[in-house]
Amino acid sequence: MKICISSTGDNIDSSVDPRFGRCPFFLIYDDGTENYEFISNSSRNAMGGAGIQAAQEVISKGVEAVITGNIGPNSYRVFESAKIKIYTGVSGPIKEAIAKYKANQLTSASGPSVQSHYGMGKE
Amino acid sequence: MIISVASGKGGTGKTTVSVALAQSLGYCNFYDFDVEAPNSDIFLKPDINHYQKVYVKYPYFIKKEGVSFKACSDFCHFNAIASIGEDYIFFEELCHGCGGCILVGPEGYVREKDVEVGEISKGFKSPGIYFFMGNLKPKSMRTSNIQGDLEKMLDRSQTVIIDSPPGNSCNMVNAVKNCDYCILVTETTLYGLSDLKISIDILKNLDKKFGIIINRDGIGNKELEDFCRQNSYKILLKIPNDINIAKTYSKGGSLLEWDPKMKDKFLGIIDVIKEEVGR
Repeated sequence: MKICISSTGDNIDSSVDPRFGRCPFFLIYDDGTENYEFISNSSRNAMGGAGIQAAQEVISKGVEAVITGNIGPNSYRVFESAKIKIYTGVSGPIKEAIAKYKANQLTSASGPSVQSHYGMGKE
Repeated sequence: MIISVASGKGGTGKTTVSVALAQSLGYCNFYDFDVEAPNSDIFLKPDINHYQKVYVKYPYFIKKEGVSFKACSDFCHFNAIASIGEDYIFFEELCHGCGGCILVGPEGYVREKDVEVGEISKGFKSPGIYFFMGNLKPKSMRTSNIQGDLEKMLDRSQTVIIDSPPGNSCNMVNAVKNCDYCILVTETTLYGLSDLKISIDILKNLDKKFGIIINRDGIGNKELEDFCRQNSYKILLKIPNDINIAKTYSKGGSLLEWDPKMKDKFLGIIDVIKEEVGR
């Protein structure tokens, strides 16, 4: 099963980015094959609706779960309608986040964790 | 003649000045272009006798098996439509109403409807002030559509006062682009000066004549006045930093109610403007 993690960088030593829609990279990780790829988040500079665009992009990669620091109301709605699991409140190295995910230690979000525009202007 | 009253920094006294101008004139058309937070009615106290709704076109999507709206979501720069398989989510607050999704989407399955985004209230205040105020609906982002409808009601043959929204954004440009003269209201603080410079850049770009009113004179420092002197920008008036002005304001009173002598000062400003504009 493929999962997506919002990442501060494009390598496995990066950290989980606290933003979803405006993070710089997404890690697409397959917990079955342990294959992974980093994709650049083309939505991060969107004028508006970055989370909406990013969510669609991630969904098109076939992921079934998303791990991030925070998620806003719009991307939450998109993931919810695609029945994708969302884990928020995650921080620290992405390697640790993957380990926690595999050990079932992450809690899934029951709603958005931040307001719209949370990730704007934060570098 | 159209006079706009604008200010980069908020809360410097745009409405205070525009209301005082209108009351001094007695006969004019007054337009509140600050449609996101209009409040000139509190001070001018017109009798509102007409409301006109403002509508914009929004798309709506008809769901059907085998029909995808991916072309629409790919096209939309504002990401107002998300397409997930045959499902879609429309984020109305992000839509700018360009109609692009209708052109690129599955034919017949994306249509347009009128949606109310606010209203314009019209009124009258004796002896002769015709009052127009735009009011955007909460949550709507369509500020410029309300301003656009207000703009259609401008009558250049009258003396027109436009109360601009604060800031130096598109919404301010909408309020000053038709004017013959712009009054910039500011205060002598660093923030006031910084935003004044941006406003002046905009007005120069639009080739507009302008003058400056300093409000809460006595606070901050002399930097702003030095700046005006060095550039030969006209200071039309200085309003003192007087607690009684604030007290009058807080009860819905205007500058003329604070001091009736202000009327002559504002009529003097109108004379200066008329001379500069050449009418």
